[in-house]
Amino acid sequence: MELGLSSTSDNSVQKLDPRTKLCLLIAISLIMVGGKTVGVEYILRVICAAIPFVLLLTVRHIKSALIYVMLLGLSVFCEGSVIPNISGAPNLILMILCGIISRFVPGYMMGWYTVRSTSVSEFMTAMDRMRVPYFITIPFSVMFRYFPTLGEEYRSIHDAMKMREIGQSVKNPFIYIEYVLVPIMMSTVRIADELSAASLTKGLCAGGKRTHICQISIKFYDWLLMLGSLVMIVLFFVF
Amino acid sequence: MIEFKNVTFAYSSTDADGRAIEQGSISGIDLTIQNGEFVVLTGGSGCGKTTITRLINGLIPHYYSGTLNGDVLIDGKSVPNTPIFETAKKVGSVFQNPRSQFFNVNTTDEIAFAAENQCIAPERILSHIAETTRNMQIEKLLDRSIFELSGGEKQIIACAGINVLSPDIVVLDEPSSNLDSSAIMKLKSILADWKSQGKTIIIAEHRLYFLRELADRMLILEGGRITKELQADEVNKLTFADTERMGIRPLSLEDISFSRESSSNHNEMLTLESFIFTYKDGKHGINIPKLELPTNSVIAIIGHNGAGKSTLARNICGLEKKCKGTLTLNGKKLKAKDRLHYCYMIMQDVNHQLFTESVRDEVMLSMTDKSMPDEQKAQKADEILTQLDLIEYADTHPMALSGGQKQRTAIASGIASSKPIIIFDEPTSGLDLAHMKQVAVEILKLRDMGKTVFIVTHDLELILSCCDHIVRLEKGEAAENYKLYKDIAARLRQFFAN
Repeated sequence: MELGLSSTSDNSVQKLDPRTKLCLLIAISLIMVGGKTVGVEYILRVICAAIPFVLLLTVRHIKSALIYVMLLGLSVFCEGSVIPNISGAPNLILMILCGIISRFVPGYMMGWYTVRSTSVSEFMTAMDRMRVPYFITIPFSVMFRYFPTLGEEYRSIHDAMKMREIGQSVKNPFIYIEYVLVPIMMSTVRIADELSAASLTKGLCAGGKRTHICQISIKFYDWLLMLGSLVMIVLFFVF
Repeated sequence: MIEFKNVTFAYSSTDADGRAIEQGSISGIDLTIQNGEFVVLTGGSGCGKTTITRLINGLIPHYYSGTLNGDVLIDGKSVPNTPIFETAKKVGSVFQNPRSQFFNVNTTDEIAFAAENQCIAPERILSHIAETTRNMQIEKLLDRSIFELSGGEKQIIACAGINVLSPDIVVLDEPSSNLDSSAIMKLKSILADWKSQGKTIIIAEHRLYFLRELADRMLILEGGRITKELQADEVNKLTFADTERMGIRPLSLEDISFSRESSSNHNEMLTLESFIFTYKDGKHGINIPKLELPTNSVIAIIGHNGAGKSTLARNICGLEKKCKGTLTLNGKKLKAKDRLHYCYMIMQDVNHQLFTESVRDEVMLSMTDKSMPDEQKAQKADEILTQLDLIEYADTHPMALSGGQKQRTAIASGIASSKPIIIFDEPTSGLDLAHMKQVAVEILKLRDMGKTVFIVTHDLELILSCCDHIVRLEKGEAAENYKLYKDIAARLRQFFAN
């Protein structure tokens, strides 16, 4: 699994607008973290848990969708059948673990879907339409672009350590971490520096206006989903 | 027209102890570049050629700070007094490191990026992109992730972005450093195209052979001053002896001399068997059933980008666990896991393999023999550092060293590890003549110590100055495997000329 904004812009059947994804993200996080497990809110929770699964399938991340469902299923099963039958410390630990999974994982998966299915330019365009100023948008988009770079750097450093057999000679985990972090920081600082310089020569500027070749628009199903999230949020606060 | 009027610039930076210092870069430069001129800047590392490109695209003084005297004018307008996004309309830039010049992840977005920043209507940008794609024949590269592309493909995307906005002036800072010979030819045709469109081109480079026919003028810099100025006809006449004397890379691949005597003939052989490995994407990999190579010699691994050179190097080193191949050395059959104890790789970006706080610690880290007391290790480390002229930096932090010194530190750790096989991945990318020669000398030293050295490289000059044996890969297979001697050098030149 690789982090970072999506590389190619069109890999889903039904492309959602980034703004719709944000609405859904807010609704899901709110309801999954804060919702009760009875009554209307229970139904809302089931719906919210299902949304990331369906969306992940639409961008063909079948493996992660299945892992997600299994994880969620396991925690629901534990909450229902295992936890009532045990007591003491194991009960407490399992309850906390299941609670964390069922409350945070759906929001996390929705966030992951959002990041994976949105390209940098879609993100910039959507933010621009929402009148978010560039001094917020640009650092965010650079950050997203940066995750895969960090991955690349880490892999090279890991190779170097393997080749120098450092894992075997250095037993102290703090020194091991230092050996990973120092080169990563040195090289990422350098890359960030060169990246900023290159962006400046391409006329990127926090004050100016820019156009976008990327086409995003709020379509019928976007309205539908946004309305849906709004209804869910209202229901969540009413009940 | 670009005018430099008595320009002096010094970078402000900090020294190893954190004190603020001024580092002189160029002084008293007077230079006029006419519209449509193709100017090549060359000279040793730190001669100030990159500084000149940065003064033209406005990164100095708007991004890199320092003390600037004199003025740089483009069409009569002062660059230091113009905001950098205004300069960006007129001047396009291509940089050395293809990994760090893209803001976007998607290639199409990146090509459009500079034009978007200039508020050009989306329809116009899209039609420009379509036109550029046709002209450059890069349909295959559109709408891809930049993380999937090779260095050469990335540079082509950078050039495509310039075509879309189409500025009058293009500055390139060592664009060929990470490219193979076929990508360099592609770059050459793009440059020729720009020249025919009447663009002003300023290119700072070490590798000069692809610029011979394009250059209108060549400026050789030394210590921040222009020491020599050559017109097109003079550039054409330069021979290998001339460039050697001037301390610059040759202008033609044909006349690089091969003067070494061949090494001894009775080497023992090492054997690679069933080196078959494919990456997850299923496309790239290597397929080498059997390959016999001489030990205690310098073996160059050549081939185009994507031919599997780095993959072979990684597999020899034992970094890919899945590879079932074996390497037989002195009668011992080594699997991937064992090879990690026998091979040491000097990576292209040496920053990735330096971990400690001083050069001496770095070398001692490689001595894994637990029975040896620390004093003895330190003594041995100092011996190795003396051999590589690093002893005066023994207590310096590796990150405070220059690129070449870092590379030597990595070599020193390789020697300290007492592994018999040393692998270099592109050791001379972006190096000037003097540093390239130094690397060649160090590689020969390693051979004299009895090591078997593998070099993955695109650098014909380096091969001719230190290699004994050539392996050429094509589509993951060993297409050629031969000993390098004087009469066969022509075959090698031919590969690099295409």
